[in-house]
Amino acid sequence: MSNVAAMHLPEVRAPLAEMSALPEQFIDAVPQEQVKVAVRDLNFYYGTQQALSGVSMGIPNKTVTAIVGPSGCGKSTLLRVMNRMYSLYPGQRAEGEVLLDGQNILDRKVNLPWLRSRVGMVFQQSTPFPMSIFDNVAFGVRLYETLRKADLSVRVEESLRRAALWEEVKDKLDRPALGLSGGQQQRLCVARSMAVRPEVLLLDEPASALDPISTAKLEDTIVSLKREVAIVIVTHNLQQAARVSDRTAFMFLGRLVEYGTTERMFNNPRTTRAADYVTGRFG
Amino acid sequence: MSEAYVSSPHPLFPHVHVRGQRVERAFRYACSAASLALLGATVGLCVMLVWGGWPSISTFGLGFFTSTVWNPVTDTYGGAGPIVGTLITSAVALALALPLAFCTAVFLVEFCPAILRRPIGIAVELLAGIPSIVYGMWGLFVFAPFFATYIEAPLMSWAPPGTVWERLFSGIPNGSGILTASIILAIMILPYIAATLRELFVSVPVRVREAAYGMGCTPLEVVWSVTLPFVRRSAVGAVMLGLGRALGETMAVTFVIGNSHRLPRGLFDSGATISSVIANEFAEATSPMHMSALLELGFALFLITFVVLALARALLGHGDAA
Repeated sequence: MSNVAAMHLPEVRAPLAEMSALPEQFIDAVPQEQVKVAVRDLNFYYGTQQALSGVSMGIPNKTVTAIVGPSGCGKSTLLRVMNRMYSLYPGQRAEGEVLLDGQNILDRKVNLPWLRSRVGMVFQQSTPFPMSIFDNVAFGVRLYETLRKADLSVRVEESLRRAALWEEVKDKLDRPALGLSGGQQQRLCVARSMAVRPEVLLLDEPASALDPISTAKLEDTIVSLKREVAIVIVTHNLQQAARVSDRTAFMFLGRLVEYGTTERMFNNPRTTRAADYVTGRFG
Repeated sequence: MSEAYVSSPHPLFPHVHVRGQRVERAFRYACSAASLALLGATVGLCVMLVWGGWPSISTFGLGFFTSTVWNPVTDTYGGAGPIVGTLITSAVALALALPLAFCTAVFLVEFCPAILRRPIGIAVELLAGIPSIVYGMWGLFVFAPFFATYIEAPLMSWAPPGTVWERLFSGIPNGSGILTASIILAIMILPYIAATLRELFVSVPVRVREAAYGMGCTPLEVVWSVTLPFVRRSAVGAVMLGLGRALGETMAVTFVIGNSHRLPRGLFDSGATISSVIANEFAEATSPMHMSALLELGFALFLITFVVLALARALLGHGDAA
């Protein structure tokens, strides 16, 4: 897959001989005032197995940050730390700090429903709930707010429009969400997450089960949503990362290897690993 | 498709398809025969119950279902007492068992520390495996006296006269009666419902649960608004299985229900269920009419079970998402 991706990407400037001398890690700092989520010295363990070691990075607000890397590099794990999804499973634990607007969300005292209302998540496979399209979008809203019926309808419409799904479902809001196509279901999940007006949206390989047209629609949605929220997208599709993201992080074996603007990452990677990966030499 | 193989067998291995086809055909016949036998048994059972109960059905007519007179001496029979007793005990048992089973299942899936999961799981299975006669003996010798002293008597003296409570808690506080039987039944059907509900909750895809938690749901909200709707239809099936067992349970109930053909007037009153009556009287049913009345009761139980299942299906027209 990476080979295909590489054909469409600009050539790497650094010749091979030079690259062996490149540093092990290269991270462009995100200006402090732009940081929405700050990850500091994060270690993560599945039982005794360490999945992340010493990850530190700033996720800027109102941008799309892509996390790429080969399978098992810890990119999904990093995402699941940001909304504490791992807390569902005893035996999984994180060390270090993840600051959301300066507040450490790894703190035991953090109210998880509250955190997850601020940090929404869309999964690899679509996860519509067994209820109508309308109820799916209204689901999260009803958990946190008591809106009048008319206001709720407005919110549902607004969310569906933001996920670019409104035109396709406006006449069948009361139909079961499970009857939608895969691509529509995935955008429905985006709408459902956006309806509670989160500040951060986590996308875990959201397009990996979609056809090219649905993928394109979803990517358009992602790009348009970054005006409102900080978006973190995990993907193993390099082209997708190049298309939608402003910054790209490359991970390898549980470590953050390189992090910088997407343009620089793809045109001028500074570490050997990242250079090999974006040119498709491995991964 | 099989015909196509016969007309054009493989040029090099003609025997392969022919042999395969024979096995396939035999397999298909075996499957059809097994399920048809099941259907035949059900129909046959129904027919025999009506056949055997016919003298009673033709003599007492619909009055059998409204009369509570059960007199082997005059050969007059009415089944209202046991029929009502069956419905009440089963309904009360379900009402008691369902919340407990639901909470047990949710605990096992959502909250249970890994170290407790196995012991509780085994306890639930053991509870399901205990023969009903053991429940009956325990109910009669241990539970009933305790129940009479510490529950029935205090409740009866507490109940304000003239209120619905007085009616509800009326009867003889000797420990055997409708409520005792219902509680024993509840204990018996609890593990079935709990175990099945647990299996169903576990079968909900992890990603759907995670999505619900990801929306900021609390565990209760996840179970109530996502997990349960996801397995709705099968969950009702699980409950119906428990109800089916309660409707038909014989020995445990016979021990503790008091065995009276009258309509029970309160929860502490003695009563009877269809199966307890049949168990008690079948050996002593000497007159043909007595035997026939018991068979008609059996047919009534058959009908009740059928209606319960049909209702459950009608209530839930659509399949599960799972």
